[in-house]
Amino acid sequence: MKRIEAIIQPFKLDDVREGLKEIGVDGMTIYDVRGHGRQKGHKEVYRGQEYEVDLLPKVKLEIVVSDDRVDATVKAISESARTGKIGDGKVFIFAVEAAIRIRNSDTGEGAL
Amino acid sequence: MTATRPWGRLVTILLSGGEGSADLSIVPAERFPEYMPDLSNLHVQGLTRQNSTFFETGDGLAAVASRSELVDGLVSESFRKRFGEATENLGVCLLAVGGYGRSQLFPQSDVDLLFLFADEAAAKAGREALAAVVTELWDAKLRVSQSVRTPAECSRFAPDNSELHISLLDARYLAGDRNLYLDLTGRLLPKFFLREQKSLIRALIDTAQDRHHEYGQTIYHLEPNIKESPGGLRDFQLACWLTQLGSMEPDRVPLSEESLPGDFSAQAMEAKEFLFALRCYLHYLSGRDDNRVDFDLQDAIAEKGAGKAFADRAQASDWMRQYYRHVRGINRLALRSIEEHGTARNSLMEMLRSGRSKLSNSDFSVANGRVFFRYSQALEVRPELVLELFRFVARHGIPLAARTERIVEQHLDSVRRYFWSGVKLWPALAEILRQPDAYEALTAMRETGALYALLPELEAIDCLVIRDFYNRYTVDEHTVLAIRMLKRLSGAKDKATVHLAELSTEVPRAELLCLALLFHDVGKAVLLEGHTPISLEKAASAMQRIGVDPEGQELVSFLIEHHLTMANFITKRDIGDPETIEEFANIVGAVENLRALTLITYADTAAINRGAMTAWRRQLLWQFYIATHNRLTGHVEDRRIHVDAEAPVLAKAPEEARAGLKDFLEGFPQRYLRTHSVDQILAQYELAKELDKKAASVTIQKKDSGYEIMLLTWDRPFLFATVCAVMAAFGLNIERAEAFSNEHGMVLDAFIVTVSERRGGAELDEGDRKQIVRTLRRAISGKEDIQELLARRGLSIGSKGRLPIEPEVTYDNATSSRATIFHVSAQDRTGLLYDLSSTFSKNDCDIEVLLIETQGRRAIDAFYVVGPQGKLSDAASEGLIEELRGACKYKAA
Repeated sequence: MKRIEAIIQPFKLDDVREGLKEIGVDGMTIYDVRGHGRQKGHKEVYRGQEYEVDLLPKVKLEIVVSDDRVDATVKAISESARTGKIGDGKVFIFAVEAAIRIRNSDTGEGAL
Repeated sequence: MTATRPWGRLVTILLSGGEGSADLSIVPAERFPEYMPDLSNLHVQGLTRQNSTFFETGDGLAAVASRSELVDGLVSESFRKRFGEATENLGVCLLAVGGYGRSQLFPQSDVDLLFLFADEAAAKAGREALAAVVTELWDAKLRVSQSVRTPAECSRFAPDNSELHISLLDARYLAGDRNLYLDLTGRLLPKFFLREQKSLIRALIDTAQDRHHEYGQTIYHLEPNIKESPGGLRDFQLACWLTQLGSMEPDRVPLSEESLPGDFSAQAMEAKEFLFALRCYLHYLSGRDDNRVDFDLQDAIAEKGAGKAFADRAQASDWMRQYYRHVRGINRLALRSIEEHGTARNSLMEMLRSGRSKLSNSDFSVANGRVFFRYSQALEVRPELVLELFRFVARHGIPLAARTERIVEQHLDSVRRYFWSGVKLWPALAEILRQPDAYEALTAMRETGALYALLPELEAIDCLVIRDFYNRYTVDEHTVLAIRMLKRLSGAKDKATVHLAELSTEVPRAELLCLALLFHDVGKAVLLEGHTPISLEKAASAMQRIGVDPEGQELVSFLIEHHLTMANFITKRDIGDPETIEEFANIVGAVENLRALTLITYADTAAINRGAMTAWRRQLLWQFYIATHNRLTGHVEDRRIHVDAEAPVLAKAPEEARAGLKDFLEGFPQRYLRTHSVDQILAQYELAKELDKKAASVTIQKKDSGYEIMLLTWDRPFLFATVCAVMAAFGLNIERAEAFSNEHGMVLDAFIVTVSERRGGAELDEGDRKQIVRTLRRAISGKEDIQELLARRGLSIGSKGRLPIEPEVTYDNATSSRATIFHVSAQDRTGLLYDLSSTFSKNDCDIEVLLIETQGRRAIDAFYVVGPQGKLSDAASEGLIEELRGACKYKAA
């Protein structure tokens, strides 16, 4: 099992969810987050005054899938979240040791 | 002795009408243990019987009394078995406390018991017997919550355990040493409560206020907890406890409900009956002490009924309306009790209260922190006074007294007749909506029904439940809460909100934003998805009826139509993409609309639930606002109108006017089309035709925000400076101004002005207006000497002096492709615009576009300037900055 963590543009959330739904991935955890990567924020001018916007609003998704679904999930996220511009985000993949469904104690991939 | 044992009575209670074991009712009491070997059977059978009785009768009050009686028998018997039968000199007695003490034991409530021992030695001696009683009762499936105290401990104040003290207000004798009980309740407790009255009241109020805060201070939760939510059973009891403590006697603790205020008791009792039945139903259904009415349960009650208690089947939303209307009464009772008992015993509040009483006027008096009519018959002769009353509430944030609420409720018909007889409601309503505590007034208007008498369109969303994942409140509560969020913005201090707070001070007619919020979700009563057109339709007819001016109607309609647009752009579109910004800028059209829509979006989102407007969302909203603002203000001069024959504006014009209109529009900035309606454009085109005969066409119209002066003329050097000088000479403050020019050199200047204090802030009468128009025409055609005019009117431009706000002047050569933009922020004063625009004219610069604003004493202006060769060089711009700073410091004599 792998945990896939994706940082995407907020306005791409619906597209990504739709893309994941199409490949049968329904469960996910979503966070409103702020941060920056290479985009590093930018300066805004408002009424002649300059100010720094260093942390940009993003959305973070966390999904745990079986190993054989990792590639399809990453592909679905990447394709749905892509605009081709700086700031589209990133996907990280982590190994998951175990999963337990609290309701009935199912374990492993059966708990996903 | 056996005749006095409770078993006979207990079995009769359990089995009368019960199933299959009626013979037991005649079994001699001394043989009961053979037939009823354990209390558990008795308890379970009793509960089963009560359950079916409740579903037959729907009587929650009877159900809790019946369970109390059942449990009385069980615990008394258990106590007597272990401690003995004596009722005198036993050294221990058993008391029911809390809800059980009031004989209100809900099907799954804990059984609160107090073992009262005469002293420590008796307590030590009785420890084993006590443990046996508790174990036996637990085995009988009673969740016992017991405390062990001596009388001395009961009358010693424990600040961290006020709950125990409060539970003793409802102490009731069950078994054991009766004298011990009588001594406690007839001597010790009254003295104790009188001594600790203030601390206990404070503790009760603090706990209640924390609880109210936890539930967002509102009764209108979509899935309420009927015990803990504001207006729930806990609040009913709070009012009882406060009045018990407030009316404590030296030798007696008053009964729970005996001192409730008479004007509330009937309404509160009806609500209590409703909630008792509902809570019993919840407990029977879930089998646990569950007090939350979730959506599934609401549906179940709506579909199947809930026994006799809720036999009338209805839509879940209709059924919930009954709930909200009941708890409104309890909420009012609780808040009134908190206000009365809190202020009476708090010196700080007392000072505040006496300060508030000074706010009394000829119509209203303020006493005990509440508003009263001076003359209770006043509404009969002056129905319009009801709006004065709510304006008073909105201005001072003081709630209505119960008596005042009742008077308003009794006069709703005459109020309705008065305002439906042609009298325009808007001026008075606008005054309410402008006030800082408009939310308090609207809430009071809703609770008394006045809001629906005046704006019946809103009644459809009263207590309306719309279920979705995010909304936590009913539609009416969301609506007034959104207005509260808007009003609270002005005091916001945190970094993330401070920008929005500034915006809220820059909106000239905040009452229109409140009006838009009042109507934005009205359509949800008819249709959830796509409710906006219905909201618009309802708002339009209401605004027409109550007399909102056309300018106001236009803004309110725009805000309702687009109340979801900005939020949708933020969440579904790439707000970093210039095309997205361009599209949204085209929708909002002007900075004024953008400001208003940003605030509406903020308020609407913040009122969804307590966590909806996160810092994350605020930042997105603010970023989108800035990007759109910069788009609207930074490129205004770049995009010029080139009208084709199919343009919508031409299609709406009469056939014969189209060619001339096309010529008139050619070369004006696009912004002109966005900020003017077709009717306004046609009117200005008509004015332009007069330029063949006179130097300038000038109109002055009264608007809510001041006077609008519209001027059409041919461009010439010093034109704008001349116009500004005339305004200054007549003591007019320029609040907003826009200047447009077309490719033929025709200039259209639009000013919103107010009358300065120098003129005494008086209105402009017909004579004034004619004189201003005449002087403007003479000045523009060169027949009026400006310096002479200013001197004649007591103004001289040119004397220097230091002013409190240091001027800031910057230039920007990057944003616009055609012009250099000068941003000026300086102390506002009469003649400032004249000084600044003269400075540009003296340097051979034309002002292509001017955007000005006034924030308090600060003027914030943006001049789009071109020199003889277009944009100014950096060196020239730097030089102008110095001159402009100097011009800012000129002071009118």
